[in-house]
Amino acid sequence: MKTYLAKRFLLVIPTLLGITLLTYALVRLAPGDPVEAMIRAQAGDINPKVFANEADAIRARLGLKNYNLWGKDPQKIDALEKVVNVFYGYGRWMAHMLTGDFGESMKYKTSGGQKSPPALFWERAYITIPLNLVAEIVIFVIAIPVGLAAARRRGGFFDRFSTIVLLGLYSVPSILAGTLFIGFLGRGGLGLEWFPVAGLHSSAAEDLGRFAYLKDLFWHVALPIACMVYGGLAYLAKLGRASLLENLRADYVRTARAKGLSEGRVVYHHAFRNSLLPMITTMVMTLPGMIGGSVIVETIFSIHGMGLLMVGAAQARDLSVIVFGTLVYGALTLLALVIGDLLYAWADPRIRYE
Amino acid sequence: MSDVETAGGVGASRTYGAIVWSQLRKRPSAMVSLGVIVLLALVAILAPFIAGEVPIRWVENGQVSWPIFRYLSNGEYAAMLGFALALLMPLTVRLLRRRAHRAGTGGWRWAFLTHLAIGLAVAISLVAWRDPERRYGFYLERAAQAESAWFPLVAYPQNPGYRELEFKEQPPSWEHPLGTGRLGDDVLMRILFGARTAMTIGFVAVGIGTAIGVVLGAMSGYFGGRTDLVLMRVTEIFICVPGLILIIIALTVISAAWLPPLWTVVIVIGMTGWMGAYRLMRAELLRIRSEDYMTAARALGIPTWRLLLRHAVPNGMAPILVGATFGVAGAVFLEASLAFLGLVQTPSWGEMLNDGRQHLEYWWVWASAGGAIFLTVFVYNLLGEAIRDAIDPRLKI
Repeated sequence: MKTYLAKRFLLVIPTLLGITLLTYALVRLAPGDPVEAMIRAQAGDINPKVFANEADAIRARLGLKNYNLWGKDPQKIDALEKVVNVFYGYGRWMAHMLTGDFGESMKYKTSGGQKSPPALFWERAYITIPLNLVAEIVIFVIAIPVGLAAARRRGGFFDRFSTIVLLGLYSVPSILAGTLFIGFLGRGGLGLEWFPVAGLHSSAAEDLGRFAYLKDLFWHVALPIACMVYGGLAYLAKLGRASLLENLRADYVRTARAKGLSEGRVVYHHAFRNSLLPMITTMVMTLPGMIGGSVIVETIFSIHGMGLLMVGAAQARDLSVIVFGTLVYGALTLLALVIGDLLYAWADPRIRYE
Repeated sequence: MSDVETAGGVGASRTYGAIVWSQLRKRPSAMVSLGVIVLLALVAILAPFIAGEVPIRWVENGQVSWPIFRYLSNGEYAAMLGFALALLMPLTVRLLRRRAHRAGTGGWRWAFLTHLAIGLAVAISLVAWRDPERRYGFYLERAAQAESAWFPLVAYPQNPGYRELEFKEQPPSWEHPLGTGRLGDDVLMRILFGARTAMTIGFVAVGIGTAIGVVLGAMSGYFGGRTDLVLMRVTEIFICVPGLILIIIALTVISAAWLPPLWTVVIVIGMTGWMGAYRLMRAELLRIRSEDYMTAARALGIPTWRLLLRHAVPNGMAPILVGATFGVAGAVFLEASLAFLGLVQTPSWGEMLNDGRQHLEYWWVWASAGGAIFLTVFVYNLLGEAIRDAIDPRLKI
């Protein structure tokens, strides 16, 4: 087991290198110049000479500069030079990263004025992670009984009904669900106007007491969480049903029944416990998705979370933020994979990893 | 000459595909969803006949003409032909059965090759010799001059420049069965052309992804060792990059002036969505490569490429098929989300939904777009479940 873990963690290194190199190279090699676009967006049209100097200074600072290696014309950089520059820049990024310096964002600032990607992500993690965790818990609490009830009476009314409803829920795009929620439950003007539709707080939330503040927060996040829950809920309930059915067919369940255990004990103590595992592993695997996955919900409900940060950075080609975000996402995914393997090994002693 | 499948010479034995098909036939959900998919594809291909400004038949000064056939693009003709050839496949199989049986192969391969040859020949000659009409004929304005004109169901200009803003934001009516949008655009027309995007993304992008995944997965599973190690790392890299971010960056890299935006999206979604097929194929080949029939084939001295192509890969295709069906649903979802976020410029249901979201009171816009996405994704998921149950209910996909 120890050898297996050591090997797994050693193999993480080339993967992380590959991930960062892939994103770094793609961002750097894409046509067009993000720095130019940024300056134009901020300052409008300025004197070309000043413009060139400023752009050069910014590129050098951000590690985006393409150095002229062998060409005579300083304005022209050929394809090979560009590739060499990408590798040089990547090496530089890596050297800085190892000292804990992840560069700075071109586009974003924290409320404290910091521009480093870790600070940016950390600030948004306070919003995104609790939101996703709550969604995940709600998914579990609803999906397990539904899957259980469906599997216990296979082919019965509830089973058939829930199968089709879950498949339907699973097929509702979150862009439609968000629109419907806002339209009918939120202040979209179509039906009940129960919930607010943007942001996380009312405008005067700071003046509220602690309890009222929390109430305000929950009131605001109810719709976004509902929007994040229904798809995963359908998926997990289907998975739970399938997995419980498989376990109910297993030999050990027949043994348990044969030795006269009550049906409840057979189902809950034996079959259910074993079918919980795939559900847990699936949920562990989806956790890294928090970083980029909830962007749709964040867009619809104007929540400034990590998803919007990543997508905004990718659109503006904000190199340091993209590469940092991918690095974190990659590391979390790899960690989730290892945890999944370990969970399986822990629950099923027959599984041995070498 | 001796093929494993027919070696016994049992003419009446049913192939694996036939068994799966007969299982599928028994499931109403599978048949209904297949029917809806065929209908969606038909509607997408025949969109200009349902909504557009070019008449199908036009009689002026006693002269009969069929203008729409001059306006259809080569791509549209190719899509129609491909669709017709795909639907005619079972017929050709029946026609070629005897010949195929003598050659010792299943009829499907012959039928497929024949149809591919016909399709390619027609497509190439279309591109080479046909020059579609591109100018607008202003048929709608001249409709009064014609003695008789058969217009599409929704006779309305497609180009926003020729539309009247006075027709904007109208609820559903007989002229506009699904109402009109903010710029006077007909919603049904946008739904139809959005269906083209969704269908292309569904079939082509998933086709590309599945092909990449199958090739890499077969190599990885069959050869093992160092090949496997390297390919596994590559796959891990692709899994560990957040999909949406990779797609956004890749869109900026791949987008080129000569490539229409739709095809950029198709290529990007295809190239970033092969990991599922890879893992399934790899797992299948790990199992298949130690089967007896593989050992037998190897002992006969069959070259490796033929071993893979004829014996190993076809036997591992079942889970891939299920995965691809779910994959289509996922790709339609993904494209709608990309368009919703304004990341791609294709005529898309996601874009319509984003339009509709800004003005919820014009419910027909978002309801049509959302309904279309839901229906498409739902039927593909339904079909995927049915195929999985027909193949093996315990498949974990």
